[in-house]
Amino acid sequence: MLEEIILGIQVVSQPINILFCFLGVLMGTLVGVLPGLGPTAAIALLLPTTFYISPVAAIIMLAGIYYGAMYGGSTTSILVNIPGEAASVVTCLDGYQMALQGRAGPALGIAAFGSFIAGTISILGLMLIAPPLSKIALSFGPPEYFSLMLMGIVILIYMASGSILKAFMMAVFGILIGTIGQDAISGTLRLTFGIRELYDGVGLIPAIMGLFGVSEVIINVEKTIKSEVITRKAENLFPTIKDWRESIGPILRGTILGFFIGILPGPSSTISSFTSYAIEKKISKYPEKFGTGMIAGVAGPESANNAATGGSLIPLLTLGIPGNAVTALLLAAFMVHGINPGPMLIPKHPDLFWGTVISMYLGNVMLLALNLPLIGIWVKLLRVPYPLLFPFILLFCLIGVYSLNFSQVEVTIMILFGLFGYLGRKFQFELAPLVLALVIGPMLENYLRLSLIISRGNPAIFIKRPISAFFILIAVILLITPLIPWFRKKREIITEET
Amino acid sequence: MQPHLYDRIGSLFFLIVGLFFTIYSQSVDIGNWHQPGPGFLPLMAGLSLGGMSLFLFLKSFNIKKKKDFYNFFPEKKSWKRVLLTFLGLGFYNFTLPYLGFGLTTFLFIFYLLRFIFPQTWKRSLWIALNGSIISHIIFIEFLKTQFPKGIMGF
Repeated sequence: MLEEIILGIQVVSQPINILFCFLGVLMGTLVGVLPGLGPTAAIALLLPTTFYISPVAAIIMLAGIYYGAMYGGSTTSILVNIPGEAASVVTCLDGYQMALQGRAGPALGIAAFGSFIAGTISILGLMLIAPPLSKIALSFGPPEYFSLMLMGIVILIYMASGSILKAFMMAVFGILIGTIGQDAISGTLRLTFGIRELYDGVGLIPAIMGLFGVSEVIINVEKTIKSEVITRKAENLFPTIKDWRESIGPILRGTILGFFIGILPGPSSTISSFTSYAIEKKISKYPEKFGTGMIAGVAGPESANNAATGGSLIPLLTLGIPGNAVTALLLAAFMVHGINPGPMLIPKHPDLFWGTVISMYLGNVMLLALNLPLIGIWVKLLRVPYPLLFPFILLFCLIGVYSLNFSQVEVTIMILFGLFGYLGRKFQFELAPLVLALVIGPMLENYLRLSLIISRGNPAIFIKRPISAFFILIAVILLITPLIPWFRKKREIITEET
Repeated sequence: MQPHLYDRIGSLFFLIVGLFFTIYSQSVDIGNWHQPGPGFLPLMAGLSLGGMSLFLFLKSFNIKKKKDFYNFFPEKKSWKRVLLTFLGLGFYNFTLPYLGFGLTTFLFIFYLLRFIFPQTWKRSLWIALNGSIISHIIFIEFLKTQFPKGIMGF
């Protein structure tokens, strides 16, 4: 492993990669700080710009946005009680109370240090788990991959907030949209209507930018947004020894919890932060004090959501299967650069894998430097009025999609997906299962058909092979449990919280 | 609008989509279990979506009315802003080849600033002008993106 780590250091030490790592974490902090623009939209917006750079620099930058957003999200939660990210919602509970008591500095400090510790440990976990897991995945055939993808979609559906049925419908809709274009096995054109741009299928980037970029702006345009004037100052960012004593346990627990929740498909950052808060409250000697400014209520969740980002990269990098909307976008980024993440990623592109992993160490150090001394700048950014910001976000969407292939058809696709995403949000149809299905739909179809061809039409192949049967079993359990009232109630509590 | 109406409208949309794909799959080779063709998954998924939509549609009649009532648009002027923003996006896409990158970008930013959350004329013009110049520098001069020049030549 030492050789690989040295390779990663060599990749990251190239000035261009350092620059893009910095740009990524900078953008991540920015979108984390700004409410109404999350890492999903930011990655979607910046994806087209990565065509001009190497795949390594592109992935380093996009990953930087992902974990950088987790750092930035806590700033607004603590200072103005507005979570920059869904994963930072729970930080508001005690973080804002600490700020009201004049302890914004230690709250921000412990959030940043906790995030740093968690981020670093989760990268270590990624380094240790990813290579052996990808070796196991080398033995997977089409049935295993099909079952694994099916399980991934089902878990995401299960974790969807609101109706499982509606989430399921969105996933199936995504699979159907994924069938548009040339069939990979027979070469038949499906639903292309003679439109050249559809021959390769509905473009992932136009679709994702529409669903997350455009629709997010439209939702924000509906309301008159008032910028809050921030008067609270963040001083003494270094937590005291007492603060550390109270926080180190929650940080370590949050890290382990976040990392393992991150591996599972679903909105892992959000779930892990809520779970960490619940655990800290449960094991605390003073549970009644949670919500009144307990530093453990900041340290645990902030560490958990950062650790989850490292964990969530494991299924993507080793199996080629994204577990949430952000990693689905990262998968799209790999694909547009002609790289298929999965078991062959590490042997075929060791520079990319190890470069990305080592860049995350560097990124975490950069984030610590960006988030503590520069906190004043981020707070000032909150004063930029949204009415001046949104035209440029939309412009970026338009330019980004048009510059892909200089096609008006693709821009039209983005606008249509923007409209669909907007209506989907209004009608409470979750977008994440749609995006995941859209990204992995074509692969799912190929693996399904190949499995049936291998088995001569016997669907039992999915349950005859032990690994595949295991994935199918989990998927079936998750689909059945909501029918049992006790499980349904439990699930509703979890999804309502997230 | 009440939640059951949202579900009813949503389910009807997906029912149509499901039926469309189911019918469409007949026009390409569906194949069989031994040799599934390009129409196999559209058929299966189309039928599933249709079935689930039908279930949601029927279920929507079972939702208790007069509960959780909420407006589709949060404010009175929301619909105007949403419509105008989509029109702006359509305008940009449609006019880009004719008016060119610089002018279209300027008009687009100006339009959104002036008419969505109305800024003063002066402010809108100033930001739109700067925004289009900076975009030109970044995307055309720096990134060398080949955008149409249009009738104005920029």
